[in-house]
Amino acid sequence: MQSNLLNFIQVLRSNDVRISPAETLDAVDVAATLGYADRSLLRDGLAMTLAKTPEEEVIFLECFQRFFHQGLANFASGEVPADDAQAQADADETAAGDDQPGGASEEQLPSPLESAAADNPQLQALLESTLMQNLLRNDRNQLTLAMNRAGERVGLQQIQMFTQKGQYTRKILDELGEAHIRNAVIELERADSPALVSLQRYRDILREQVRDYVEREYLLQAKGKTRQFMDDVLSTTRLNNIEHMYLHKVQELIRKMARKLASRHSRKRRQLKRGQLDMGKTIRKGIPNEGVMFNTYWRRTRKEKPQILAVCDVSGSVAAYAKFLLLFLYSLQDVLPKVRSFAFSSHLGEVSDYFQQHPVEKAIELVNWKYGGATDYGSSLLDFARLALDDINSNTTVIILGDARNNNGDPRMDIMQSIYQRSRQVIWLNPESRRAWGTGDSEMLRYQSACHFSAECNNLKQLERIIDQLLKSTR
Amino acid sequence: MHTQDLPQLASVEEIEAGFEAHGYICSRKIATAVFLAFQLRKPVLVEGPPGVGKTELAKTTATLLDVPLIRLQCYEGLDEAKALYEWKYGKQLLYTQVLKEKLGDLLQGAKGLAESVERLHQFGDIFYSEEFLEPRPLLKAMQQDKGAILLIDEVDKSDYEFESLLLEILSDYQISIPEIGTVKARTSPMVFLTSNNTRDISDALKRRCLHLYIPFPTVELEERIICSRVPDINEQLRHQLVEFVHSLRQLDLKKAPAISETIDWARSLLLLHADQLDEQLVSDTLNVLLKFEDDIEATGPELRSLLHPPGN
Repeated sequence: MQSNLLNFIQVLRSNDVRISPAETLDAVDVAATLGYADRSLLRDGLAMTLAKTPEEEVIFLECFQRFFHQGLANFASGEVPADDAQAQADADETAAGDDQPGGASEEQLPSPLESAAADNPQLQALLESTLMQNLLRNDRNQLTLAMNRAGERVGLQQIQMFTQKGQYTRKILDELGEAHIRNAVIELERADSPALVSLQRYRDILREQVRDYVEREYLLQAKGKTRQFMDDVLSTTRLNNIEHMYLHKVQELIRKMARKLASRHSRKRRQLKRGQLDMGKTIRKGIPNEGVMFNTYWRRTRKEKPQILAVCDVSGSVAAYAKFLLLFLYSLQDVLPKVRSFAFSSHLGEVSDYFQQHPVEKAIELVNWKYGGATDYGSSLLDFARLALDDINSNTTVIILGDARNNNGDPRMDIMQSIYQRSRQVIWLNPESRRAWGTGDSEMLRYQSACHFSAECNNLKQLERIIDQLLKSTR
Repeated sequence: MHTQDLPQLASVEEIEAGFEAHGYICSRKIATAVFLAFQLRKPVLVEGPPGVGKTELAKTTATLLDVPLIRLQCYEGLDEAKALYEWKYGKQLLYTQVLKEKLGDLLQGAKGLAESVERLHQFGDIFYSEEFLEPRPLLKAMQQDKGAILLIDEVDKSDYEFESLLLEILSDYQISIPEIGTVKARTSPMVFLTSNNTRDISDALKRRCLHLYIPFPTVELEERIICSRVPDINEQLRHQLVEFVHSLRQLDLKKAPAISETIDWARSLLLLHADQLDEQLVSDTLNVLLKFEDDIEATGPELRSLLHPPGN
């Protein structure tokens, strides 16, 4: 039962419920305390240790239902026609039954099979195999058990993609010994035996059961994994290669990453600010001086004050990246309440308002429409300096996103230098790979000299890493 | 509390019955949580909308077990000096002044500075001993001989730093005081944390707790609660008012009425000698249920259809 519980936890994990080993131990404790007899009690108890939010609880309940309710579909109904055939067969061949070795179950065998088996030792052996016995007796528990074992042997729990379903079904059937039935069917077919129909039916029942079983396991194990796989792929794909249809998924992914980063970094930063007198500390520190309070100690109040200026190139080649960077920054509102963003190609303007007033998609569209065009870093930097240079101080981080391809214009390094000197840090994110920096009309190598940090950034993983770093350093 | 067996907490059914005897009607889930909390010595993090009886749960458990309830109300800026312990600075200061004269006696006959210091060292850090410690709720809960119910109310209102402070207490039932050492709980208290979900609680804290979400109760459960809290109200009115509150919760309101509001309303209706709900009565007493003017205004035109659902 314990391994069953562990399997269940595995299922929860693949469905995006985060469960640590310590929680697994708790769950085992809970199960031991409550016992397995009362299902709803166990469910409530496990929910308390494993699901930590109402959303997770919904997932938990769904999984619990699916996992512990996996009885087999009753295939007795499939046998109704068999009963008819049997009744019919019973009438004319009652005598044949006497040849068979005794036993309650054998007596219910559909006779065509029996009679065929009587003069075919191979078929006889098959009929006596556990698998066939289970099928004949409609013993669902035994069959489920056998399928579970076979599933374990072929590693069904590793199923990841829906395309593997057929493959696993085949493997499990082989493990169960379906090949014998298959061969027998072929043989009977050749002999044109009356037993063919009923054997075929059992084969089909078996196949259907296994297919259902694999389907169920897939839903349990892999649905989550497929999604994870998708997320992994998306987060390492170059952003401008992501198909349009996946864009909304990427946005979701970004929000998820942002939430993760936000919760990691939302600890408040201390900033020394004279507030109330800390009487306790003042007296305590005065004790060594016979209670004379030489020094006063003041309570510090904590205040958040990060300031980030994001400057994004929105010309054709880089627009896709800018979009994601802005999306990222605005998803981090909790941690970075003061983000000002600027967009440029031939000239530059502040676009923070667009993001505050419109939903992200719309805002990005507006920005592209307003500032798209041929890139001119020189005049854009000039615009930037006019707009924001006065606001840059030692608390400011400037993030520039662009490919630094200036169409051979004046790079205005002087402005870059002054930004560099005034700010806390300048980060340049370039979607081009490092090798391409400085080639052709790229001014990257020159701009790089006026950056605290420059990096190649063209997929979500890199973006996440850089923003993580950024948050660490702004703390 | 965990050293002795408590018959009140022996099984889930026992707890349900015990709570009911003390006027707290709870779902089986809640009873299971209390049972597990006791058996596994784990704190319970209780979440849910305001007014569903999160705080009440802790209070009732305390009454049931007949142990003190120690409550720590969280708020922004709550720090260890107010939650854990503080030194009694005034007393320390006073004692140093008063005992100054005694020093002369103590050091009498000591030869040289080294010996004097040696002698003083024998007294250790008397000014940083338990006598000078002012216990705050968390430390107080550790010091109870018979155990206690520790209620850390609205933990989501506190700062993130405070959560980390709680971790040691919640997992090991002990507090480290740098000047003294580790204070272990004499009997581990049963801990309830409540949260209104105004912000996410950190994973580290969640991991240490059993997670109990108390939603609004079902009609049946709420009727039982009203029955237990306002026993004088007649059955028909009780049913009617609970149904009405439930249909109110379906509306899009700023703050949906919680159990506490239903109880208040039932009491008000009782005071007004009402035996049936009618439109006039409801609109006159709606301010007991709804706490925002916007909500009251929004509900006004719907009253008739809420009181006489088309189904009936």
